[in-house]
This record gives sequence, C-alpha cells and structure tokens, in this order.
Amino acid sequence: MARALSSSAKPNWISQQQFNRWQARRLWARAGLTYAVMLAFAIIFLGPILFATISSVRTDPTAYPPTLNIPQLSPRNWAAAARLGRAGANNRWWGGFAPGADVPFEIIYFVPEGQEPELPEPVVPRRRPGAGLGSVLAIDYAADYATITPVKEIERKTGRFVVRDEELSGQFVTYAFRILYEGDGPEINRLPLDITAPRRQSYARSTLSLSRLERRGRVASYDNVAPGVLGYVLYNYRRTFSEARSITTERSLFLNWVSNSFIIGFAKVLTTLLFASMAGYALARLSFPGKNLIFILILFAQMIPGQVIFISNYLVLRDGIFSLSRLWGQTTLLNSLTGVILSGLVGAGAVFIMKQFFESIPREIEEAAMIDGASQWQRYWNVVLPMARPALGALTILTFQGAWNDFFWPFVVLTTPEDIKTLPIGLLTFRNVYGGTGDWGIILAGAVMSALPIVILFIVFQKYFLEGVSFGGTKG
Amino acid sequence: MKKLAISILVLAFVTAALAQTTVRIMGYGGEDPRIVARLLDEVIGDDLAEQGITVQYEPLEGDYNAALTNALSAGTAADLFYIPAETAPGIIASGKVLPLDDLVDSGPFITSLVDTYTIDNQLYGIAKDFNTLAIHYNKDLFDEAAVEYPNENDDWDSFANKLRGVAALDDDVYGACFPAEFARFGAFAFAAGWQPFDAAGNTDLLDERFVEAFSYYTDLVKEGVAVQPSDLGEGWTGGCFATDNVGVAIEGAWILGFLRDAAPNLQFGTTFMPIGPSGERGNFLYTVAWGINADTANRDAAVAVLKALTSTDTQQFVLENGLAIPSRTALADNPFFAEGTVESEANRIVFEGAASGNVIGFQFGKVGTDWMAPINNALTAVMTGQQDVNAALSAAQNEIDALIERANR
Repeated sequence: MARALSSSAKPNWISQQQFNRWQARRLWARAGLTYAVMLAFAIIFLGPILFATISSVRTDPTAYPPTLNIPQLSPRNWAAAARLGRAGANNRWWGGFAPGADVPFEIIYFVPEGQEPELPEPVVPRRRPGAGLGSVLAIDYAADYATITPVKEIERKTGRFVVRDEELSGQFVTYAFRILYEGDGPEINRLPLDITAPRRQSYARSTLSLSRLERRGRVASYDNVAPGVLGYVLYNYRRTFSEARSITTERSLFLNWVSNSFIIGFAKVLTTLLFASMAGYALARLSFPGKNLIFILILFAQMIPGQVIFISNYLVLRDGIFSLSRLWGQTTLLNSLTGVILSGLVGAGAVFIMKQFFESIPREIEEAAMIDGASQWQRYWNVVLPMARPALGALTILTFQGAWNDFFWPFVVLTTPEDIKTLPIGLLTFRNVYGGTGDWGIILAGAVMSALPIVILFIVFQKYFLEGVSFGGTKG
Repeated sequence: MKKLAISILVLAFVTAALAQTTVRIMGYGGEDPRIVARLLDEVIGDDLAEQGITVQYEPLEGDYNAALTNALSAGTAADLFYIPAETAPGIIASGKVLPLDDLVDSGPFITSLVDTYTIDNQLYGIAKDFNTLAIHYNKDLFDEAAVEYPNENDDWDSFANKLRGVAALDDDVYGACFPAEFARFGAFAFAAGWQPFDAAGNTDLLDERFVEAFSYYTDLVKEGVAVQPSDLGEGWTGGCFATDNVGVAIEGAWILGFLRDAAPNLQFGTTFMPIGPSGERGNFLYTVAWGINADTANRDAAVAVLKALTSTDTQQFVLENGLAIPSRTALADNPFFAEGTVESEANRIVFEGAASGNVIGFQFGKVGTDWMAPINNALTAVMTGQQDVNAALSAAQNEIDALIERANR
C-alpha cells in the first residue's frame, strides 16, 4: 500500500504540507476500510459459529429472544456447581448423587410489602427423560433415594424488586434446606429439584441458577442441583456421549462415530498423499506413451460429480469390488469402513495439484541428483518429495476436511448398524431423535464437537495451507 | 442303534442350523432401533429364536419415504418395512407390498386403522401403533382466569368462549396455539362433516362445511384468541404450550414426552376434541404399519415376525413403557389406561379418539403430503391478514386441482 501511495504524483497547485496531510488521511481511510471489511467478514463467518457454541451450553438453546446472559457462563454458578457437586458425590467436576450425600441449598424469594412470607416446598421429582434416546433407557431416579430436611427461614432483608414490569418494595426472604442420600444405593448422575411457592412470592435468586421458572412463576425447576462445574456447563456435551449407546455393545455411539470419522480421515490422507504424489510425479516428470491421455482421463474423472456414478460405485462395493474382498473374508464392502476407504483412495483433484506442484520444481535439482547417481525412486522420495511439503500440507488438510465432512457417500454406504456410521451421519441420527421435539442442545453440542478437529487442523496447518494453495493455484 | 440315534441327532442339528433364517426389517431411525432392540430382548426374541428366525433392524435415517423408495427400486429393501399412512397409497401402488388378507387376521385391530391400509379391498399393512389429536389444557391458566376446563361436551362455540376467557387474562396470554397446518386444522374440517376426497377422488375446498371450519379456525387467530407458534418464537404447538402462556394445545400423545423435558411441572389435563357443527368430533389418525416386501425370499418367516411385532405382548410392552399407543382393540382395558396419572389419561383419550366421530387417516391419496401445501398456504395467508377467506380458498382450490390431476395422470 505504501508503495502505491508514494508513486502517486503531487499536483503543482497544492503545497507539500497539504499533500502530506492528504496522503496520511488517505492511508488511514484505506486502513480503516480494510479493517472494517475484514471485521465484517469475521463477524459474518464466525458469528454463527460463536453463537452456536455459546448456545450449545444452554438449557434451551432456542429460547427466544436470544440472550448472552447465560447462567452456564456465570462464574457464580460455576463456583456453586463445584460446591454442590462435591456435596452430592464428592466430585466437583462432574457431580452426581451418591450415598452419604448432603447437599445444602438456599433460595431467596421476594415478598411484596403487606404479604406474609410462606415456606416454599421443595421436592425431588421423579423426572423421566421424555424424548430422545434417554427416554427408552431404564434409569435410576434420585427421587427414590433422596430425603429433604425441613425448610428453614434464615434471613429477611428489605429491598426493592421488579415484579411483572413493576418495581415494588418488600423483603427478600432466604430459605435453606438440605437434600440427603441416606442408606445405600446406586450413584445417580442427576438430582432434579422443584421448589413450589405461592405465586405472590417471586423467585429472586438461589444457590444455583434455576433451569426454568414454571407454572407462571410458582415453581423454580432445576434439572440438576449437584452438577459439578463441567456437569453444569457441559451438560449437553455429556449427553451426546452418555445417551446414545450402541444396542449391541453398549459403547457410546458418539465415540464410535468420532473414531470412525478419524479412521476414514487418516486412512484417506495417507493413501492420498502417497498415491497423489506418486501419480503427480509420474505425470510431471516421466515420459511414457499415453501420458497425456491418462492426464486427460484424470481431469475428466474430476469433472464427474459423485452423484452421477454413485449407483455403479454402490453396486461395485456391494459385490465386494468384483468379489476381490473375499480374499480377506468380506463378502460385501457395504456397511464397512474398508468400503468407504477403498472407494476414496485418491482423488483426481489431488493428483492434479501434485502434478502442477512438481512441474514448478526446477528440473535442474533432479538433474544434479541424477549426476550424483540417484535412482528414479531416490529422486522422487529423497529429493522432490521433501520439497513438496507445502503441497502435501495443503493436500492433508483438504483431504482430511473432505473426508471428515463427507456426508453423501458414507450415508449411502454405511447404513447399519448404528456403530459403523461416521460423525455427520450420526448427527443426522441425533437430529431425527432430538430435533422433532426441539431438544437442540444436544444436537448443537454434537455439531460443535464435530467442527473442532477441523478448526484445530486449520490452526496447525494454516502455514502450509496458505503456501500450498498459492502454489497449486498460481503455477498453472 | 446308537449310531442311528447319533446320526439322526446330527441330522436334526444340521437341519435346525440350515433352517435359521434372518429376517431384515426396515424402519425409522432415531429411537426406533433401540425400541425394537428392547422388544427383541425382552418380549419376542426367544419365541422367534425357537422358530429359527433372527431379526435384523435396519434404520433408514433422513427422509424415510425417499430411502424406502430407493431401497424398493434397487431391490435392497428388507423383508419387512414401515409403511407410514401418509405415503401408503403411493408405496402400495408400486406393487412391492404383499397383500396380507390370507396371512394375518386383522380382526383384533382397530377398524379405522385397518381401513387406512385397505386399498381396493385388500389389506397391505398392520398398524404397529397410532396417534390421534386431543385437547391438552393448562390448568393453571384456566384456574387463574376462572374459566371451566374444556371437556368432552364442548362444542365449537363453548370451546371458543372458554379460549376467549383465558385470552382475556393478560396481553401475552392466548387461549390456544393454532399452527397454519392442515395436519391440525383438518380435524376441525372433519368435525364440520367435510371429507378430503369425494367419490371421484377430487377435493372441494369451497364446500360450505370446509369454509365454515376454515373461518372458525382462522377467525380465532385474527381475533387474537389463538396464536401461531411462530409468533411466540416456537416451532410447533408443543413449544407454545410449554411457555405457560397458552391455554390449549391440540396435539397427539407425542407431546407428553416433550413436556416431560421442556416443562416438567406444567399442570395439564387432556380431553376430547370439541364437537363440530355436524354433531360429531373430527380427528386425524396418524399411524405407521408393518408391511411385507412382495419380493421377499422368506415369506413365512416375515409373516411370523410381523405377527410377533404386532402381537398383544409387544403392544402391551410398548404401551406400559409409555412408548406408543397400541393398535389392538383388546388393549382398551389395559390397566395402564386406568392408572389415573396425567399421562395415562392423555394416552387413553388419544386411544379412544380413534373411535369417536369423523376419524380420517392422515392420508392424501397418491398425491402424498404435497396435497396439504395449498391449504397450509391459504391458512397462513388468512391468519396473517394477507388475503380474505374466499380469495385464499379459490387460489388453493386451483392448486389442489392441479396437484390431483398430475398425480392421476
């Protein structure tokens, strides 16, 4: 930018000082504009992701109007959650409700002037998960093991409070009670609580922020009053792992999906790097009959969308690539990771990128190696390939991202059982189970987690990514 | 002698091993795989194993109807599959579904469900469960407004008046939540005595009974007594109801599971749909049936699995676990319905709703669910005040005629 400015000539009719000032102004205006545009882009692209991430910790992510005042993100609640988790199951991170638990709880109500405060009634409800996979599982209920000590009033303070858009004076009354787990029993991971009070008595605050206010203000309802910090903030995340379990092995489906996606991603990256660099090198450097024809065929293959040929590919996989898979004991490659990996060993685009890159490396380097007595393989493996690191880096990230996000082909090939699916198809399962009843928290949590590896990959490989793309793109 | 006995034993063993058949079944994804797994584990698995049958459930995620159509045409469809009522005519017309008249006794099942899967006097599916609509009301709101709870004797007028009473409570309180969807509104049209199709297979939206129901439904919204879910920032009536600001939600038993999570303390009751001008209630029947693939290689085993999956034991298990409502009439007396809890009561009313008044399957001939689109658009246009009733319905009539003509071509 600086060079461009100095090259603009100064007209004669203004002084040097004026010109300098004008130039400085222009510089700032340009810088401001650039930053504004970049900020706008950042907000447009990152805003939804950020908002989704923040929403994924909320009890009701779609609550309207949206707000950034989220109980799960308040340090006061973190401290309380840790304390309560410790009281519930001696576990400040994940909480729970275990034998011997003694969970203290306080709730503050606002009682307008002229009204007599009344003791609220806490109950540990027998709350069965209503929708989603959790509803089909048989679980233990905290209600069967919990006893609540009598509620005591411990403090009264006068003050003012807004009730239904009206500021009233009155008093804040604090009540306290304890939830005990006496005797022996299983450890339960959730301790729900409902506190009912007359409607004229308004909920103001409690040890832990409530999950929702129900019955038009009568009931303060808590999903878990012994959550632990992580159990409180990452409740939806925990559910993605704990609720969806394999029918046959009882293993967490989400973990299975993640590992399947990783296996496919890594395998594809390895095969792509190997085969694309070998094929690219051959097309760039070796001369053999039909080379151009092969290159044109590769380009042609790149132009055909997957949807056009998926039926034939499907049939080939169904028959185990002409019964070849029987060699290692698989009659069909459908519903197996091997099938997905074998059908995507290397992409035409990858070969193309590598060919272009190798062509950009001066021949002289290889000639020098040749004089030193290097064989064809040594020239490829020891000389050219190490120089191709930026292209390989870009290829790694592109391939991994493609494999990780691939939806269509795994969706066709991997249908049953649930254990064999990849993450994007697994998220579809979540959407089917939880989306219908508006339980978006768990879906958002799954989606955020599925985006994480790609974000990390970009951060780690960003240098290669930028270099590689500019190499691949400009040296045509 | 001993040798003979041994060889007979061996032979018997070998035939038993050979007789082992795997029956594949296809259904929805989501919770269903887990439910079927529990059924196999806890109820029907042992019986089927004795008959040498193993069952393999293959869930179809995403768009079930598209996936099933693909599987049927690719020849990879399972021996048994779900047939949703709304797309049944299309699936059955493909000729890929085995008629069940000689194979299964449909007597014990609810008649209207059997009718839904009877086409040209042949039975193609046995409903596994079903749902109908019912009135769910927020007791707190009705108490606060000092209005009597809705009950089974309500007609349209008394029902609307009760809603008005609740809506008068506060600016942000509404009597009911009415989505602009035929899937809910249709029940009112049926209560007026309207039928979706005449004998020739045509739809008449300008029929005075339809117009009456349409005006009743949309007027309540325009009057501010009822509200559309989207106006409360919700996607459906259930979400609306969970906000505590809406007196009545018209939904099926599926709302119960949702409320357990979203509003566990909501004090609600359930009653039958109001009686319409025809003197009858109107209701939809939402259902999914098991059908058998006409090309199956294991017909006998498939029939055995179908019978097991719709058996009394299965349905009792599903009912008692609160997972679905049974399609067998005999289960009307199941103690679960008489438990007296809010949920069992709601389930009973939804169950009995199938036999009360003008109950019509959620089914639209070969047109499929597209048939509803013109009506939904008309509902939206009128509720939001963009068009009046006559203009909206005339436009919808033209569109629906075109849809029906295209489907019959």
